[in-house]
Amino acid sequence: MIAIDSLSKSRGSLRVLHEVSLAGAEGGVTALVGASGSGKTTLLRCLNGLETFDAGGLTVAGHRLEPGPHVPATLERLRRDVGMVFQQFNLFPHLSVIDNVTLAPRTVLRMAAEEARMVGLALLERVGLASFAAARPATLSGGQQQRVAIARALAMQPRVMLFDEPTSALDPTMTAEVLDVIIDLAREGQTMVVVTHDHAFAKRAATWVVELAAGRVARQGPAAEILS
Amino acid sequence: MITTSPRPVAPWGVCALALVVGVATAGAAELDEVRRRGELVWAADQEGGGPHVFPASDDPTRLTGFEVEFAELLAAELGVRARFQQGQWDRLPLLLGRSADCVINGIELTPERQRDYRCSRPYFAYALQLLGRRAGPLDAFERLSGPGPHGPWKVGVLTGSAAETVMRSRSDLDVEVVGYDGTLDSLEQVRTRVLDAAVMDDCIFTFYADRFADLRTVGRPFAGGLYAVLTARDTPELAAAIDTAIGRLIADGRLKSLYDRWDLAGRQQMLLLRDATEIPAAPSRSTWDLVRETLPLLVRSAGMTVLLSCISFPLAILLGLAVAVGRLYGPPILRPLLTGYVEVLRGTPLMLQLYAIFFLLPKVGLALPAVVAAVAGLALNYSAYESEIYRAGLKAVPLGQFEAALALGLTKWQALRHVLVPQAVRIVMPPVTSDFIALFKDTSVCSAITVIELTKRYSVLALSTGRIVELAVVTAILYLAMSWPLALLSRWFERRLESGGQR
Repeated sequence: MIAIDSLSKSRGSLRVLHEVSLAGAEGGVTALVGASGSGKTTLLRCLNGLETFDAGGLTVAGHRLEPGPHVPATLERLRRDVGMVFQQFNLFPHLSVIDNVTLAPRTVLRMAAEEARMVGLALLERVGLASFAAARPATLSGGQQQRVAIARALAMQPRVMLFDEPTSALDPTMTAEVLDVIIDLAREGQTMVVVTHDHAFAKRAATWVVELAAGRVARQGPAAEILS
Repeated sequence: MITTSPRPVAPWGVCALALVVGVATAGAAELDEVRRRGELVWAADQEGGGPHVFPASDDPTRLTGFEVEFAELLAAELGVRARFQQGQWDRLPLLLGRSADCVINGIELTPERQRDYRCSRPYFAYALQLLGRRAGPLDAFERLSGPGPHGPWKVGVLTGSAAETVMRSRSDLDVEVVGYDGTLDSLEQVRTRVLDAAVMDDCIFTFYADRFADLRTVGRPFAGGLYAVLTARDTPELAAAIDTAIGRLIADGRLKSLYDRWDLAGRQQMLLLRDATEIPAAPSRSTWDLVRETLPLLVRSAGMTVLLSCISFPLAILLGLAVAVGRLYGPPILRPLLTGYVEVLRGTPLMLQLYAIFFLLPKVGLALPAVVAAVAGLALNYSAYESEIYRAGLKAVPLGQFEAALALGLTKWQALRHVLVPQAVRIVMPPVTSDFIALFKDTSVCSAITVIELTKRYSVLALSTGRIVELAVVTAILYLAMSWPLALLSRWFERRLESGGQR
């Protein structure tokens, strides 16, 4: 599902990623761990083309990305199959919760409004927020917003989900409600890549762990081995 | 000369004139064209006032004046009806071959005009008259040769008129000549002692003498000249027909009886007699009557103001949004072009743009009606400002919003349409509203291309009634009555956008 071979990226003279390769993430939950500035988030953003890279290549959900500028059409196809959840949620503040969830199915998949609404409500139900469908994102707590963001990404029925430190902008009290949703997804067999600092969460959820240090893979392997 | 223009003739106005002069349309068939149309369209500026062309005092919707009657006589001689075309006095010749067949508005015969246009044989002889305060120290024209009580005599004239040319050329006089844009501005300034004297066509002062009862003529007229009908250079047949017609009007006495009817000679006599023995000025109308008579006209012109702004601003917003999006997200080759578009439209005066649209586009075959040209000019001009506001608004939307939309599989344009633009619109609401109010007031510039809106109507009525202050208050109230609800509406809209769901 996800393969990365010798991917390198520089910003100016700074090597952000240096020949990163990743193979064992065929399905399951891959945790990207490492110190701040080690390149975890940049690597994750390379996976859906929000960042370009200079050398190497990667394949996600059957879509191949090459070095240099990406072709918009390729990215649009890839992103239908790859959902992303951001550290800061990035919900659309001018839309209601349900409209946040249904925007992509309606505009990208051309789903009928009524059908999109049914799908959206089911997803909100699943993250425990069906009663907030008509609310504005700004009226929700951080944990609720992040759960809406997960529902929004799931609405495209992605084959791969990317999580960029999904709980680091949250109070500890709200972390659990978000992690529970992610762990549920993992149990259902959703392939995902999670950038996280949360050792306990990685231990609970991850099947494969990649540890980055200064843009290089320090070590990687099955979660049980690496995190023990 | 007569008349008033709301602002001085700027250098670019002269440029526009130079561009247009000598390029007039039509051929030798222009006389046939007038006959076929059944109308002789004559241009004048009713703001120039009496006795030439001005709104009738008993019915401000009707124009009167000796030139109105003269134009009707002239048209009848050609076998057609006369139709009035409003224009800004100093730019009336620009309308030739465009929206008028001829100009009849106290246009003095000068060598320059004879070079650039066809000037008819004269139809009126004017004389230049020196005017001063009754009790003032200036009691004879000859006194101007020596110094006044406080240095050179300060003498007011209408900018661009023959009076100005003559006074500035008299090096034998110890005078400081001050130019004004309004016909009667200099008289007001003499009355308030800012000036020592004024010089203007005698018929104008004679006409308004009652309003300026505390002023008097000083000596006999000291210079003079002739008014002629202007036609375009390339309309020889029309010019010849007009000459013939004027000749007949002079020969058979109809022109004289017209001038007798307007009492253009007799009133001067009366004035001399009046000046000899103090006679109080006639009482003026009550403010209530004034408002009742002028309000319908003012309200109708306010309708034009509303029409211009309510059509042009939505266009400006759409155009501005398109330009802003193009500059930020469009193809790289397009961006410098759009930047140029914004800078050219922001960096040149709105009036020049209106000129280009109304006077120059017809040269390339695109003749727009004045109102359409006005809407187009306002929309283009304001689109440049709106695009800058939208550009700032789009940049103010956090990058994460764009990324989140792209990550969901939306294309760049879908992300703009559904995520960035709706948020930018909310951000820029306050400055856009204030621009709408600005445009609303800028519609007054459109009088330069013959559109009569509220400000122009005010100027015309203020001059013809002499009730400058009262009418200014009424006009200001009308503007406020229109712009205030607008501000309230946009504030309501803003609140709605902040709270409600718009999708």
